[in-house]
Amino acid sequence: MNRIWNLVSTEARIELRERYALTGLLLYVVSASFIVFSIWRQLPAREWGLTFWVIFLFCSLMAALKTFSRESESRYFYYYTLYHPLELFVSKVVYNLGLLLFIFLMLWLVLTVMAGNHFQRPGWFLTTGVMACIGLSFLLTLISSIAIKTQQNASLTSVLALPLMIPILINVLRLTSYSLGASPDENPWNEMSLLTSNISLVAGMSLWLFPYLWRS
Amino acid sequence: MGSVNQPDRNRLAAWKWATMAILLFVFIAGWYVPLNPGIIRVHPDKAVAGDSISLQITGYNSSFTTGDASARAWLRFEGDTVIKAYDVKVIDDRRVDARFYIPSAMPVSRDAYPLSLILDHKTDGSSVLPNALFVTPNPDPVASEEELWYQSGIDEIHEKEGIQYPFRNILAETIRNTYFHVPMWFSMIILFGVSAWYSLKYYRKGNMEDDRRSIAFVKVGLIFGVMGMITGMLWAKFTWNAYWSWDVKQNMSAIALLIYAALMVMRSSVEDDMQKARLSAGYNMFAFMLLIPLLFIIPRMADSLHPGNGGNPAMGGEDLDNTMRMIFYPAVIGWIMLGLWISQLVYRVDNLKETT
Repeated sequence: MNRIWNLVSTEARIELRERYALTGLLLYVVSASFIVFSIWRQLPAREWGLTFWVIFLFCSLMAALKTFSRESESRYFYYYTLYHPLELFVSKVVYNLGLLLFIFLMLWLVLTVMAGNHFQRPGWFLTTGVMACIGLSFLLTLISSIAIKTQQNASLTSVLALPLMIPILINVLRLTSYSLGASPDENPWNEMSLLTSNISLVAGMSLWLFPYLWRS
Repeated sequence: MGSVNQPDRNRLAAWKWATMAILLFVFIAGWYVPLNPGIIRVHPDKAVAGDSISLQITGYNSSFTTGDASARAWLRFEGDTVIKAYDVKVIDDRRVDARFYIPSAMPVSRDAYPLSLILDHKTDGSSVLPNALFVTPNPDPVASEEELWYQSGIDEIHEKEGIQYPFRNILAETIRNTYFHVPMWFSMIILFGVSAWYSLKYYRKGNMEDDRRSIAFVKVGLIFGVMGMITGMLWAKFTWNAYWSWDVKQNMSAIALLIYAALMVMRSSVEDDMQKARLSAGYNMFAFMLLIPLLFIIPRMADSLHPGNGGNPAMGGEDLDNTMRMIFYPAVIGWIMLGLWISQLVYRVDNLKETT
């Protein structure tokens, strides 16, 4: 646990030292929502939810792209001798989770400022968002560990990750429309349990596969 | 298994002969067994209660002039509220004229009454056209005529003898696609499953042959998936009137194909062979596990036009009768075996390319 925390805090320190990375992400969030908003002019409740997750999707891809490309290959060789691959993986997941939560909250803030607050059940949206961030951080970390080994890292991350993100995203969209009050008579616990099982499937598979994929 | 590279016999294995025989049977039976006679059109399709009308009925695959060239017809509202045609005249094999008197008083009060047409012929059997005639209520009904609805029942229904497929009004001849479209997806799932199994074997043993085998199954599974999509789109054009209607089942299967296409793209961009094998084994197992909610859980939770979702029946009820079962089950087995056979050939070609 301590060792994982060490890795996470190292990552965070590197990130904070190069301040352009986080600010870049923030700018990406703001400008993307600005473009979308200036095209739509106004966002009714349903479109608010859809726009939110579309922007979130691409921001999370952006963030995940740098997961393994930030450090050099020799550094990873060094890590390999020091840490178990699972420790490395979990630390990356925790770090990405932090990034995704940051994006989630920022995007929520920006879109609320721009297009107003439509939520009838903000608690549900927060829960959904946290769940989605957990699931996507596992998925994106695993996929970027695959993509880093190929020649076209950037494009392959999205090609490999986008179709796999869709099951999670569909659940999340339904839960979002529930929390916006757009589909009031649905039973959210049903969707939530499906989302939970989906996320645990992703988490279990990626924890099982990462040590194997990382060995090279 | 023995050595796959150099088969020691020149004869085909028995299961390959069986595959060819089954598929030959499926193609011949699937294409040449006729459809039951049915009704495709009725003219006019609107009437006012109290009218005496003459319906021109157009049959499909019918031979009304055989036998004593007589038929009986009913218009049915719901349950046992039925009126019988007082005169039915057979014009030729495809056309029948039926004269009805529609009572001016209806059993219940509504804005419009959809009536189903039932036609019975001694050799052709009975056929039904749902919502054949829309009746609008009469402004001043004669209350005593309500009795007429209960006077005649549908009795002595005949059935056509011999082997034929059921006539469904929306499907018509496309019902034969059941033997091609549905087994394509079954085969795709089986092939992807076998591929994931070989990926697991590669994961445990690290044998390059298992990697080649698993990729051969993915390639053939993709082809079966694309064929399933094409046959499905043609079918959708006929029944839903659009090749692509953003139905949840269509979307999910498109995504499944995208996932495996991404796997092939990823393989082509890795140079080291061991690396390629390891990455694709990992991704393959990951993708197959995610395919389960994608194909089997999400479509069942959404509204869909596709049979098997949103309360629509599939693989049962009236759409798959016993005659169709006799061809459908062999079709599923035959297409799956064909898929396995082709994948084996692809694997052997790939193996030869790699090792020589």
